[in-house]
Amino acid sequence: MRRRTALNLLLLLGALGRVPLPAQQVPGTVVFAIGEDPTLPLPAITDRTSDTDLADQLFLRLAILGPTFRTAGDNALTPMLARRWQRTDPLTLVFEIDPRARWQDGVPVTARDVVFTWRLTMDPVVGKGRILMEPVASVEAVGERQVRVRFKRPFAEQLYLFSFNMQPLPAHLLERIAPAAIARSDFATGPIGNGPYRYVRRVPGQFVELRADPNFFLGAPTMARVVLRIAPDAAARMNLFLAGETDVMGDVQAPDALKIKERPDVALINVSHNLLLWIGINQRQGASGHPILGDRRIREALRLALDRRTMTNGIFGPSAGVPDAAQSQIWAWVTGGRMDGAVRDLAKARTLLAAAGWRDANGDGILDRNGSPLRLVMMYPNSSGARHSFALQAQAMWREAGVDVQLERVERAAFIERMNAGRFDLIIDGGNQDPTPSSLTQRWSCAAAADSASLNTLRWCDPTFDRLLAGAETAADPIAAYRAALARMASEVPAIVLAAPLNQVAVHRRYTNVQVWPTKSWLSLWQWRVRPDAALPRDR
Amino acid sequence: MTGWLLRRGTDALLTTLCAIVALIALVQFLPGDPLTAIIGDHAVDATQRAALEATWGTNRSPMEAIGITLANMVRGDLGISLATQRPVTTLIAERLGPTLLLGALTLLVTFAIGLSLGLWSALHPTTLRARLIGGVTLVGYALPSFVIGMLLVWSLAGPAGFFPPAGFGDPLLAMEASPGAVLLDRLRHLALPLLTMVIATVAVPLRQQRAAALATAGQPWVLAARARGVLPARLAIQHVWRPALTPIVTLMGLWLPMLVAGAVFVEALFGWPGLGSLIATSTSQRDLPVVIGAGSLIVLLVQLGSLLADLLYRIVNPAQRDA
Repeated sequence: MRRRTALNLLLLLGALGRVPLPAQQVPGTVVFAIGEDPTLPLPAITDRTSDTDLADQLFLRLAILGPTFRTAGDNALTPMLARRWQRTDPLTLVFEIDPRARWQDGVPVTARDVVFTWRLTMDPVVGKGRILMEPVASVEAVGERQVRVRFKRPFAEQLYLFSFNMQPLPAHLLERIAPAAIARSDFATGPIGNGPYRYVRRVPGQFVELRADPNFFLGAPTMARVVLRIAPDAAARMNLFLAGETDVMGDVQAPDALKIKERPDVALINVSHNLLLWIGINQRQGASGHPILGDRRIREALRLALDRRTMTNGIFGPSAGVPDAAQSQIWAWVTGGRMDGAVRDLAKARTLLAAAGWRDANGDGILDRNGSPLRLVMMYPNSSGARHSFALQAQAMWREAGVDVQLERVERAAFIERMNAGRFDLIIDGGNQDPTPSSLTQRWSCAAAADSASLNTLRWCDPTFDRLLAGAETAADPIAAYRAALARMASEVPAIVLAAPLNQVAVHRRYTNVQVWPTKSWLSLWQWRVRPDAALPRDR
Repeated sequence: MTGWLLRRGTDALLTTLCAIVALIALVQFLPGDPLTAIIGDHAVDATQRAALEATWGTNRSPMEAIGITLANMVRGDLGISLATQRPVTTLIAERLGPTLLLGALTLLVTFAIGLSLGLWSALHPTTLRARLIGGVTLVGYALPSFVIGMLLVWSLAGPAGFFPPAGFGDPLLAMEASPGAVLLDRLRHLALPLLTMVIATVAVPLRQQRAAALATAGQPWVLAARARGVLPARLAIQHVWRPALTPIVTLMGLWLPMLVAGAVFVEALFGWPGLGSLIATSTSQRDLPVVIGAGSLIVLLVQLGSLLADLLYRIVNPAQRDA
């Protein structure tokens, strides 16, 4: 009895200080979980997902993608920090900063902030955008609020490149600090932004709390509080959501979706996504070139031997695409949403292998040529359950075609080292694609294949593909040109795409005006609302 | 005693130094590029790579790396984390509190339960209850800790459950919440990780204590005390438990490092913001300064634990004191 009284007293003490508000004035709270502690939420010098998720609430971009996510053209984006822009010649864009924009310490946002941030972005030690911003020749302030950006060459995505990737930092607070010291400055632990939210506190390893800035120049946020809970383990994030401790959760996979659907207070929505998973095929040329996989017929046979649709359905559900080229859902403005590639054709796969000289001479079920079995090794990181599942299924299906693929599940850092060194036959790789198809050059071009530090670890090089891709940059109709490049890639099979999933996002039903973005999921949190009749105590 | 302490202390210091040097050297040979923690999944040009290597010292030879790291350690500087770009000492300090809390309570509760049940089992070795205790705790020991954790989350956490499934505290608890509310919140969050750790480890002290007490229970002085009519409780504590304490002291000393790094899986599953999860994440990211800093702390604690165990051993065992 005494124990229960003490417990009631503690609960009462915990409830003190909460003043009930009228139903019409629900400030609202969104809690979501992230995988890492966001210790450096400063654009230009970080690109960790947790940091950028937080930075997106604090620092505005010059412009964001429009509803179609189109990246080509001077009218493709929606103004944010930049009120407008003007093209003065094929190499020059002039941006005008919105005169209402203020840093949260009251100082106006100016062209000087943009120039300072661009320099920081290009810093060889701390900058995170040197390669991305390579086409930019110069950035200069023209007066208080105008910024002139010159590009090295004309291309259709100049506006997207600079405005979407530029999130200015406050020069008046940072330019006296050496670039290398910014990460350890007081500003990094208590950033002052220009966005819809103010940084309130970070409890190390636990959470970060943000509060709406009522003076935000684009309008006071309708969601008063945002809390980012830190939970490195995916199972912990799911448990937090299922227990109702977080309100939204992205990247829900098919098995978890079944559990979430049991909750009547939660809606599952499909959002366009930039994630892509593929099996990379080593095509290093020259003396160290691959003795088997250099043959296009083998690569195509490997693709045809897989029932990729069935494999993908079990992990990402039927909404995921299974294209033949490296194209995620976010490029729907290019692909028209056509995401289904070749279906399984075991007979054709066997024919192609036979044409390449592979036959089962000894009757052991594995094809051989000149006495050597058709044996390959597929490597993938142990950090991903989805890749493990794909690997096991692919191994069984290839076996039916007479290909013996051995699996090597290795630790992530060792995986990256071996991948960069080219010590593999096949790898299960993946990543989030940039919103623009022109970014294919980073991973799939001959220039990248020649650069040992590039992302083209497969060393695939096809001059025809390069020419088609380069043509899209300046084409009057970039869509047709991009489609031609993707079709070329599909026919050459540098990789077997396993899945281009949609982002399944679980959202508590009390929210309205919910928008989730494909590359930066939580850009519009400040415009979400809570239905007063469904508000939870945390919303008041 | 002072001479022994000096000799033992010097030994511990030398061993610590050797172990830290070995740790730094081994870490240099781990596969994987440490700059991945900074670069991530992005392309960098040759200029940028060279600048990063020079800044972060990843182009140093192993000998050079060992020398510089040791010299910095002597000055109390554990370096800067590659992944977060923050001082390693700050990162460790941020995570040490939750880890020590979970570790210390695990040690306390596990030993309190383990020793009591172990002694009771030794005094009633043939009873069904003693066999049940032995069997059940052994099952807990045999199960991986994350499986126990998942079962507890499934059964005790959730929308209707009292315990939160993860975290160190409720982020929605008002900053001005009363100390009572904060305490209750902390206890609720602590319950499941602590219970997981206790279930997974209680069998060890229990079985050690049971074996030691069983050996003692047959000794002549126990029989003599029993013949003298000494009360059962006094017989158990003074004549059986105390002489059987020596191996437990050693065990306790060796468990001290668990205070810091013994709960990697449990920390991950419960989103507990401790050092174990920091070490696991940093190792997978090849964030070498953090791995070395946290690893050195564990080395130091292992040595301290061992020293403390030897010291306690001498205190509880007079024969050793005179040796």
